[in-house]
Amino acid sequence: MATNTATEKTMPDQSAKKMEASFLIDTTKCIGCRGCQVACKQWNGNQTDPTKASPTFTNPLKLNSKTYTNIAFFEREQNGAVSWDFARNGCFHCKKPACVSVCPVEALVKTPEGPVIYREGRCMGCRYCILACPFNVPKYEWEKLAPKVQKCTFCYDRLLAGMLPSCAKSCPTGTIHFSDSIEKNLAEAKKRIAEHPGMYVNHIYGEKEAGGTSVMLLSALPLDQLGHLKVRDQVLPDLTWKYIGGIPAIIGVVLAAGIGSWVITRRNQNMDKEGDE
Amino acid sequence: MTNHWIDLKNADVVLVMGGNPAENHPISMKWIMKAREKGGKLIVVDPRFTRTAAKADLYAPLRSGTDIAFLGGMIKYILDKNLYFKEYVANYTNAAYLVNPDFRMPGQLNGVFSGYDGKARKYDKKTWSFQMDDKGLPKKDMTLKDPNCVFQLLRKHYSRYTLDMVSDITGTPKEKLVEVYKLFGSTGKANRVGTECYAMGWTQHTVGTQNIRAMSIIQLLLGNIGMAGGGINALRGESNVQGSTDHGLLFHILPGYVPVPSAALPDLKAYNEKFTPKTKDPKSVNWWGNRPKYITSYLKAIYGTSATKDNDFGYAWLPKIDEGMNASWLMLFDQMFKGKFEGFFAWGQNPACSGANANKTRKALAKLKWMVNVNLFENETGSFWKGPGINPKDIQTEVFMLPCASSVEKEGSITNSGRWAQWRYAAIPPIGQSKPDTEIIHELYKRVKKLYQTKGGKFPAPITNLTWNYKSKGREIDTHLIAREINGYYLEDIFDAKDATKQLGKKGELCTNFVTLQADGRTSSGNWIYGGSYTHKEGKIINMMARRGKADPTGLGLFPEWSFSWPVNRRIIYNRAAVDQQGRPWDPKRAIIKWNPDKLDPKTKKTAPGWEGDVPDGPAPPMADEKAGKYPFIMRADGMGSIFGPGLADGPFPEHYEALECPIQENLLSKTKINPAIKLFHDGKTGAPEDIYYSCDTRYPYVATTYRMTEHWQTGIMTRNIPWLLEMVPQQYVEISKELAAEKKIVNGERLKVSSARGELTAVAFVTGRFKPFKIGGSTVHQVGMPWCFGWFTPKDGGESANLLTSTIGDANTMIPETKAFMVNVEKV
Repeated sequence: MATNTATEKTMPDQSAKKMEASFLIDTTKCIGCRGCQVACKQWNGNQTDPTKASPTFTNPLKLNSKTYTNIAFFEREQNGAVSWDFARNGCFHCKKPACVSVCPVEALVKTPEGPVIYREGRCMGCRYCILACPFNVPKYEWEKLAPKVQKCTFCYDRLLAGMLPSCAKSCPTGTIHFSDSIEKNLAEAKKRIAEHPGMYVNHIYGEKEAGGTSVMLLSALPLDQLGHLKVRDQVLPDLTWKYIGGIPAIIGVVLAAGIGSWVITRRNQNMDKEGDE
Repeated sequence: MTNHWIDLKNADVVLVMGGNPAENHPISMKWIMKAREKGGKLIVVDPRFTRTAAKADLYAPLRSGTDIAFLGGMIKYILDKNLYFKEYVANYTNAAYLVNPDFRMPGQLNGVFSGYDGKARKYDKKTWSFQMDDKGLPKKDMTLKDPNCVFQLLRKHYSRYTLDMVSDITGTPKEKLVEVYKLFGSTGKANRVGTECYAMGWTQHTVGTQNIRAMSIIQLLLGNIGMAGGGINALRGESNVQGSTDHGLLFHILPGYVPVPSAALPDLKAYNEKFTPKTKDPKSVNWWGNRPKYITSYLKAIYGTSATKDNDFGYAWLPKIDEGMNASWLMLFDQMFKGKFEGFFAWGQNPACSGANANKTRKALAKLKWMVNVNLFENETGSFWKGPGINPKDIQTEVFMLPCASSVEKEGSITNSGRWAQWRYAAIPPIGQSKPDTEIIHELYKRVKKLYQTKGGKFPAPITNLTWNYKSKGREIDTHLIAREINGYYLEDIFDAKDATKQLGKKGELCTNFVTLQADGRTSSGNWIYGGSYTHKEGKIINMMARRGKADPTGLGLFPEWSFSWPVNRRIIYNRAAVDQQGRPWDPKRAIIKWNPDKLDPKTKKTAPGWEGDVPDGPAPPMADEKAGKYPFIMRADGMGSIFGPGLADGPFPEHYEALECPIQENLLSKTKINPAIKLFHDGKTGAPEDIYYSCDTRYPYVATTYRMTEHWQTGIMTRNIPWLLEMVPQQYVEISKELAAEKKIVNGERLKVSSARGELTAVAFVTGRFKPFKIGGSTVHQVGMPWCFGWFTPKDGGESANLLTSTIGDANTMIPETKAFMVNVEKV
């Protein structure tokens, strides 16, 4: 199994076998060092926003168009004892992604290797993906003249080059565990729960959420206590398609609205810019 | 580190006290977490619940500056509950030695040991000695029952450290003390091992050295020194601070921990006489008995052919300090403050923020005629003349900035905390006009030498006689040639003194290791402990530090073919203490070394008994061998681990004293409040106002400490210039408890003024449950903490250095400043 502790040379040969990129993120191992947060920005060349000191330590407070992944810090007190938990936010790369299904122009695609990626040339700025995502992941570059949708790419470029995603590569404790197979990571997750009774809640977040995702989480606490939304198990595009399939005329309206929205956004941005000047 | 980073995984119990590896050494957590995965337990003792504490199985809070009370209580617990490793303690430590009957302890003398001179604030250590027999060896009671033996004195000394007393001093709840003592004390068995990780949280106190001594005593009592998964491990705060210490960075040591000579030692003979320890015990290796070989080889390395037997190998050219002189950081800046220096190279450092009592440090810089700031970035030190409250017109100091290359822009070795010297290559050429440090030094050398040659000077010989053979293939200065000089050369053919047919070294070749070094000038070595790091093997030159072999024959993570570990590629030092007197491992599952009487010589195929595993602390057979057996602690003159340590300035056993600035009127344990052997810069009445301190003063009621965190490094010169890091932690903050916040009506996120007797700064309030008030001697004591990585220069509203608040006081032995415990006030702005 390809693991973070193995060298990148052990990454699977693309030609020989189909890769199904997957992360098992074990929050019990996370030390909150935020190496992943920085490595992600570094690899993607993402800029920063001016921030203020954050008493929770989470900073930036939420994912944004320049922050594809961050660590959220949760301090709690129970019976006089304090605890401090760290959880990574980022794209779950759904097996059947809602963002992909609602995109009218196929700007978002689910690649054969697993990552859900964004093709900026196709995007018309309707931002349906942002609304559709059950995990609240894609972000829009409101501040830019030609805004794009931004989110974690699973380091698709690195994967194709046989390299580990940058967050997994930087993680010192193996919290972000990469595998070339969702099944393998799922088996690993089940093994850890079985081998360490009492250590984890008996829930692999991402096994069933949204019909299953490529990124799965293990935790000592219910995941909603670590800032992760309660997401139903149903495959979301199934829901979407039922809805859209029922009223085909809506599609045209959606497209028109999308284009309209894009034009208005562009115009607003231009006006904002002129206003600044 | 006695052990090394990967070895942390072999521990059953990891005690983190005086350090914060998850935040400051994140990679180490990989190994600590591996220990936990195998059922190991992590204990964290810290005033604040840190990111390391977040991963701990057991967390215990303690008030800053009370570690000795905490550890003293552990020693008492281990002795009372018979948890110590008897065979190890009796045979491998000085526990059985009989101490001078005139020796008295703090319990008998109001908090001081015998021999104290209050006026001089110094001890006469005459009574801190052992009773000797007629052969000149220490008298022993192997039953450990004699009331004057070290073991019984230890028991007596720490009998005062009861749970009630310790809890009253430290503020740690009694049940937490017992939990920690019990869990760590469980490693006194042969098949259980505990390790300790510390950093500046232990060193930066007026009792810093004794904090570590207290833990060393515990590790000796539990038989954890020398063991895989054991030891006492300093987590060094800079990637190469181990290397720089090895190579003589500190004022009192030359490379290889060879003492700097003083003016009272006029020649090499006097020097060797003073610094070469002796023993009359044939079973003691007494490795420092080799000192003359190392100093002579060092002189040959730096003065080459100019160093001859007739001129004492150039000993006279070595810089000398005055007898008893202390030239440590605090003293240097005190002297600079007093106008005693003209010039200063601030090389790869930022004293305007990193030095304790930064206001005094900044004032000291203004007394200089010139300063050279060698750094990657402009910083608060180079720009001190335009800092807050300073009018540039008033400053006469001429400041030069020399941009230098970063670690990825130059080639050379880095020695990590585990003593592994690892070779690195330049990834990219230096940007702009920046140069690697070696090139800057090379340019300086050329110019200074030329000035001496053309214009003369008071004492040109130390410079004009220096060897400087670093030129190679078009390169002015080649790091490889420096590394080879450090390793050392055979300057003549060397033959075994006992067997003249056996050649040990060939003229012109690199030394195999330090064992073949000579005291007569026939060998050179720039740093004896690096002997074998760059060597000749079967006619080929090999840079051992560049090795990247991944073999792990013992399965203990020694990786003996990866880089080079000093000394002689030994991965765990004192490893002879990991086996019994017959050479059998205490714990066969963690067999770091073992004696194999049936070992076969691979060449001759004949039986040649020997050690297997790690490179042992000397090839001698096990201690039980009547003819040739040796004691395990080879660097000690008597071969024993020192439970009684008469070498330190402030006592042979650690004793609790309060920090210079503390929240309580009296030391609850004795009438002696602060460490009686520290140098006071201000006596409370007289002294420079900059050196003032206030203890138990209502104006400064809160205990404070400083620390680092993952996102920033040291004073933040590199990290404050990296937006990705600054985005996460952009401003100075102060962490305070919910209870203190409620008392002062402080709201999370608001700006606060934090002040001490010496300075003030503003910081954002982080109100947290990770700090809790302490109950000290019946009253409530609050503690706050803040990082020291900020400074006024950048970013614009980042805030100031926490060292504006810290005091001018140092440890009694090392003079490291006490920045981990001082008193402040916190107010709403």
